Amino acid sequence: MDAESRAYHEAFMREAIAMAELALKSDETPVGCVFVRDGNIIGRGGNETNRTLNGTRHAEFVALASILQSNPITILEETDLYVTVEPCVMCASMLRQYRVRAVYFGCWNERFGGTGGVLNIHSDPSVDSPMPVFGGIFREEAIMLLRKFYVQENEKAPEPKQKKTRELKTEIAPTDIHAPKDAATKV
Amino acid sequence: MSTPEVAASSLEQLGLVARRGQLQPLKTKDEVRAALETYSAYVVEVPAKHANAVKDVIQDALPDLRTSDFGHLRRVVQFKFLPPHLQKTFHPPSRLPRGDEDEHSDVPEDALAEELDTVRFFLVSPTRYIQPADLLLALRKKPPFDILPTAPRILYVTVPALAPTSAEQAAKWTIDYWPIAYKNTNPYGPHPSLVLRNTADLSYEAGHWLALAREAGRQISDLQLGENIGCVIVDKTKGVSNIIAVAGDCRWRSPVGATTPQQGQGNVMAHAVERAIAMVAKKRLRVANANPDLLDRPLFCDSPFTDLEKRFFAMDNLEPHGYLCVDLDIFITHEPCVMCSMAILHSRFRRCVFGRRVPLTGGLAADEAVKKGDGSIGAGNGLGHGIFWRPSELNWKFLAWDWVDEDENDTVLSIKDTLHI
Repeated sequence: MDAESRAYHEAFMREAIAMAELALKSDETPVGCVFVRDGNIIGRGGNETNRTLNGTRHAEFVALASILQSNPITILEETDLYVTVEPCVMCASMLRQYRVRAVYFGCWNERFGGTGGVLNIHSDPSVDSPMPVFGGIFREEAIMLLRKFYVQENEKAPEPKQKKTRELKTEIAPTDIHAPKDAATKV
Repeated sequence: MSTPEVAASSLEQLGLVARRGQLQPLKTKDEVRAALETYSAYVVEVPAKHANAVKDVIQDALPDLRTSDFGHLRRVVQFKFLPPHLQKTFHPPSRLPRGDEDEHSDVPEDALAEELDTVRFFLVSPTRYIQPADLLLALRKKPPFDILPTAPRILYVTVPALAPTSAEQAAKWTIDYWPIAYKNTNPYGPHPSLVLRNTADLSYEAGHWLALAREAGRQISDLQLGENIGCVIVDKTKGVSNIIAVAGDCRWRSPVGATTPQQGQGNVMAHAVERAIAMVAKKRLRVANANPDLLDRPLFCDSPFTDLEKRFFAMDNLEPHGYLCVDLDIFITHEPCVMCSMAILHSRFRRCVFGRRVPLTGGLAADEAVKKGDGSIGAGNGLGHGIFWRPSELNWKFLAWDWVDEDENDTVLSIKDTLHI
């Protein structure tokens, strides 16, 4: 990726990170995203699973619910997604069904990532055409946001694990967590 | 009221008839793999009293041999316990006179039987561990083959690569491949007794809730808001089933509530499973005296639209302080797509039953689809995702069944095979 296109993608990832920070302030898992068409942001979203008590209210769903309120679904075929954390298996399938043009993400999701972190829903055999994905844009920032959240208490989870003793680690090794299982998806 | 009474009266009130059929537990991804994978192994014919000596020879010759490769296979087997096809191939043992059939017929029957009794068939290792010539060399260096006049007889067998997941499978493999040791566990999926218990627990009511799900799909598709797909979420934690949410598919509903032309994929986020999960969340907010419409967006279609949906949404029958859909069961007319399968997993459901497989788009079945030469997929058995039970990769697992309908003429639920449920 050349410097010019890197700067282009990073600018939108900055906006996605801003949405993740907003989610964190609302005691939500800090994942944020923006959808971009013709160089313009057409929708933003942050995770809302805790406030809605609904485990499917991921940032991608939240953003698309606004976008499709006033745009036809076909607009997504020329729209790209920028999201701080790799889309999960559920969102990866949703995005592919909607024919979203491409996905750019920050860090990999080793717990339930759907575009290389755990499964490859974007490229596996399907009745839908494959969806290109590019990971690793501001990966460290995305990881730090998640770590900040995990040292907080998630009061709604059953039998919460003891988190008070947890410390915020700030070192991120290149081979640390949130690395792709298959390096081919890396930018 | 008992569960059968509750299930029956719920349907009766709605004028519905339960579907008749059987629950069929889904195979997990690892179980599918375990059922298919085999490898080639060496077998050596040894005098019975020297079986232990040969074992030591093998251990010395192959220090890297992992017992996990053949822990499920009987290591030392008598002739009479070999599967029929191997008895045919391995007969007669090498220490008997060999040659053409006429020579055999000279040997008295009981002497032959006695000889067979002193012979053991020793499973050495997968063939990938050592070349046959090297194996022969290693065996000839130590007793008993260092003094026996004939060279050890090396045979080949095909064996299952992984342990069996049930007693039935072990019995079948013992006849088809090689004697199998079954340890009454299932390393590749839920324990058979757990599956049995839960199948029995749901077998009566499953047909009822699938009929209710079908009615939910019918009502919504009659309004032309969605496909003929529906689902029902049930709470059976207290022993008696409570219907928590009923929802149909809403992919053809426009942002303002009108019907839209049925082209393309429609509103993916309004699949029946997504809607039903959202209704559970709204009920939880309501039970907690919070605003159920918090952060609501019309596109999610998570308000009830049909009489059936409204009827069950109105009931405050959910225990307070619950988390997501923990301990709840979901019944769906069709196998959910990958998105909905993962939504069920994210929501921590306990059990899932679906009425009809959808091989080209379903996310739960673990059977593989057939890949065609041009890279596209053909109508195989499925995409192979098996999203309900992949504990080493995903952070939740649940039990899942498909449904074998007794009424073969049931075409009400036929759909386009490329549709995502």
